[in-house]
Amino acid sequence: MATIAAPSLASAYDASAENTGIWSWITTVDHKRIGVLYLWTALFFFLVGGLEAVIIRTQLMQPNMGFISAETYNQLFTMHGTTMVFLAIMPLSAAFFNFLIPLQIGARDVAFPRLNAFSYWVYLLGGIFITVPILFKVAPDGGWFGYAPLTTVQFSSGPNIDFWVIGLQILGISSLAAAFNFITTIINMRAPGMSLMRMPMFTWMSFVVQFLVILAFPPITIALFFLLMDRFFGTTFYAIAAGADPLLWQHLFWVFGHPEVYILILPAFGLVSEVLPTFSKKPLFGYNVMVYSGIMIGFLGFGVWAHHMFAVGMGAVADSIFSLMTMLIAIPTGVKIFNWIATMWSGEIRFTVAMKFAIALIGMFTIGGISGVMHSSPPADLQQTDTYFIVAHFHYVLFGGSIMGIFAGIYFYFPKITGRMMSERIGNWHFWLNLIGFNLAFFPMHFSGMLGMPRRIYTYDAGQGWDLFNMIATIGTYLLVVSTAIFVWNFLRSRKHGEIAGNDPWGGSTLEWSIPSPPPEYNFAQIPEVTSRYPLWDLKSPEKTAGIDHSHADAMTITDAHAVPVHEETERRTAKELGIPMPYPTVKPLVVALAMVIMFSGLLFLRFDHFAISMVVTIGGALVMVGGLYSWLTAPLE
Amino acid sequence: MSMLRLRQAAPALLAVAVLLVLTACGGTEYPNSTFNRHTDLNTSIDLLWNKLLFWGTIVFVVVEAALIFTIIKFRKRPGGPAAKQIHGNAALEITWTAIPAVILVLIAVPTVKTIFETQAPAPAGALEIEVIGHQWWWEFRYPELGIVTANEVYVPVGRTASFKLQTKDVLHSFWIPQMGGKRDLITNKTNYMWFTPSDTMGTAAWNGFCAEYCGASHANMKFRLYTVQPDEFASWAAHQATPAMFTAPGPGAAAATTVASTGTAAEPAPAREVGYFFPKDQQPPHVIPQTPIPAGLEFDDALLAQGDPVRGTQAFMMGGCIGCHAIAGNPMAVSIIGPNLTHFATRHTLAAGLYPNDGPHLARWIKNSRRMKPGSIMNTIGLNEYDPILKRTVTVGGLTDQQIADVVAYLQALK
Repeated sequence: MATIAAPSLASAYDASAENTGIWSWITTVDHKRIGVLYLWTALFFFLVGGLEAVIIRTQLMQPNMGFISAETYNQLFTMHGTTMVFLAIMPLSAAFFNFLIPLQIGARDVAFPRLNAFSYWVYLLGGIFITVPILFKVAPDGGWFGYAPLTTVQFSSGPNIDFWVIGLQILGISSLAAAFNFITTIINMRAPGMSLMRMPMFTWMSFVVQFLVILAFPPITIALFFLLMDRFFGTTFYAIAAGADPLLWQHLFWVFGHPEVYILILPAFGLVSEVLPTFSKKPLFGYNVMVYSGIMIGFLGFGVWAHHMFAVGMGAVADSIFSLMTMLIAIPTGVKIFNWIATMWSGEIRFTVAMKFAIALIGMFTIGGISGVMHSSPPADLQQTDTYFIVAHFHYVLFGGSIMGIFAGIYFYFPKITGRMMSERIGNWHFWLNLIGFNLAFFPMHFSGMLGMPRRIYTYDAGQGWDLFNMIATIGTYLLVVSTAIFVWNFLRSRKHGEIAGNDPWGGSTLEWSIPSPPPEYNFAQIPEVTSRYPLWDLKSPEKTAGIDHSHADAMTITDAHAVPVHEETERRTAKELGIPMPYPTVKPLVVALAMVIMFSGLLFLRFDHFAISMVVTIGGALVMVGGLYSWLTAPLE
Repeated sequence: MSMLRLRQAAPALLAVAVLLVLTACGGTEYPNSTFNRHTDLNTSIDLLWNKLLFWGTIVFVVVEAALIFTIIKFRKRPGGPAAKQIHGNAALEITWTAIPAVILVLIAVPTVKTIFETQAPAPAGALEIEVIGHQWWWEFRYPELGIVTANEVYVPVGRTASFKLQTKDVLHSFWIPQMGGKRDLITNKTNYMWFTPSDTMGTAAWNGFCAEYCGASHANMKFRLYTVQPDEFASWAAHQATPAMFTAPGPGAAAATTVASTGTAAEPAPAREVGYFFPKDQQPPHVIPQTPIPAGLEFDDALLAQGDPVRGTQAFMMGGCIGCHAIAGNPMAVSIIGPNLTHFATRHTLAAGLYPNDGPHLARWIKNSRRMKPGSIMNTIGLNEYDPILKRTVTVGGLTDQQIADVVAYLQALK
């Protein structure tokens, strides 16, 4: 097989896109490049959020530490949560949505490439908007949940909460735009023959997530809008002197906040559902049930929000209903766990780093799921909520689940994204230190929580029986720093020096492995025709897919239109040479995103009573945004 | 292979750790442990927790064992069997849908039962205690006994204590881990919780916490609960309901001052017994605050010995203390913004469980509470002290160290 010398990340695209350098990245509308931008940006924010965690854990290492002040601590824990949820895990998932969904469904791009660029730029600018204040010690300090009335002007008169309210509104726009884009893409742009029930599991879980986004973000948008109106224009949605009921905020927030948990975890479930079959040399066990359980998790996720509120006094009936609904979610989740184990059962398991992370997700997420059932029981939860037991629980879900899944995805798809393999040797160090550090950091929190340690406290007194657990947790966190540093080194080094990957380094089953790594700008020289769930296995190892339905009996080997040889023949010819129309690069989405963020930030001047400046900035931003939108919408796509 | 052995060993080690820690949790090393049956409320919770832990452990062991067994047995080996291409198995999948469902029913039934049990109205004859949350301290009122106090709450063993929970500002959460679950204090809403300390329990002191993030000093919003014997409670309650033992002297101030300076009983009213309060020397270590005094907050502790309570009453007014604090027996001090100080000297902590209630801490607290406790609402009183919130130095109206020592002497006379 004549291997093509794998070009570096940037030059891979240069060959086909006829443009180079930073400007080509700023104007790109290519879903793969946008995915790469998401990946870099989200990894950066992951490190920022991690650094915040390290400072938090250092302050909590021993009782009565004076490493940072109470005010700084409160800003850090608020920003750690906000950063990890909105700026790290969600966008890391978005990196995979962008890069993978079109490749997995056999499309040349997403439905709205420029809207896709817009989503990214809004995310980046919103992330900067909400993060930069920490350098000036005015970062949000109301918790990632921002409970009213603490976040109202009466109790938080500084600009801190303003950055949070406006920043989250901005980020919500990014998520919503992306969600509509991916739903349209998945519904309309699947390759011929790829019915919904033939979609790869990652695409399926992503599909579910996009619906969660478009249904969950409106409630928080409303909640934030009320708060924004309260803070800037004197409305009284949450003003306690006007008799406001603070539970309004809590209900609106958690109607978003709980589905958000599934927004964070389902993409990781999708990624490991790609990794496990590949390295077990077996198809996913119970594909249909995996799809239905994913949908069930998403659906039930909207009916359980008040389990975050068992302590607020909703009454015995409401507590019981939300408790039972919450327990129900354990069923589809458990099915997923068992089906993953069954996927590996009687397989030939190869312990690559990606596979280890996927297995770790099963093992660690299970622990988070079990503690989750423990606080689905309201009387027990009243001893657990707002303690470190909960901190332990959701880190087992979000770190042990989402982050482990995302690391599995990064090791698995790095070759596809860059054309080079990540080092397995260094990756093993990353994995083991990560697994050990993670358990040291978070397992002791189960104990400190049940032994009475509340959450969100910047310090604690000596002699409370928590010292040992906190010391271990901090040591675990430092191990995580080491493991993350190893990962970063591996990531950076492998981009330049990794082994050449080839099209299909792992023996994958789905369409993305049929094309070169990194894929050409147009993805598929010819749009493939799909006859089963595992098109590439149909071609390369039909014995694996003999037992499943195909379109027609003689279609065991697909028409070969997308197959490897075709692409080797194209020799990475450009879209133009192949006559494939591609969207023009454009800077307009960035202009519109920037103008929108400027428009929003004009509000900040109101906090300091600069009415005129505020109006100039807001109206100026709005005018540029509308002008930019007009210019964008009237320019041809390709 | 070594890697596989590690994976195999990890959960076993975890399980051992769990058992070790759980068996140790009953001891005094863990003074805020939730694993106990001190009250009816926490007995219900603990019984439920045991069911959750039992099923949780079973699920944990089964899933992790299945996972580890699978990855070891089916690891790729040279000459090993080829992968069997199984796509699914309806019977199996129905089984592992049904088994968790059954387990959940076994959890759900006692859960719902316990919810209704613990949220029923308090039994008749319960002692009602109003809890009012403030940033960052706790106000406790016993309406039927006419007591208003702060940050330290007494309940008799064997009698149900019913807490009526309200907040004056943001959300808080009332939590005494050893007594049972927490309940939030919601603005413009009243919540209730009740528990009955077991009458077999001796007189004891417990930590209480604010469990809902409430701003800068959320971590410093603690309180103490004393479970005392019924006769002790009666004595405490009778005394707390009376005005302070030291009252500001009237026209005969000079005489009173003389008495005070000789160190004998200072009050003009006839001497009476100080009622019961939890003996200071019997406090267990976990309720004695160990918070260090912030560096740079200077006070000449030698002045404390020269503090004069009568001058202190004057300074108490001059320093503006009466703007916020009430002291029954001091007709000038009637404000309800800050903690009621009527029997301040019978309390063991100050600043909501943050510092021990002794002269040096109290003096520094009065001098600059905002250095002592982040975000403190109480103004900086000390002359020439820098107020970190107002960002200016206190000049006019500030108290000198000697005046502060006098106020300390006055407050320490408030038994």
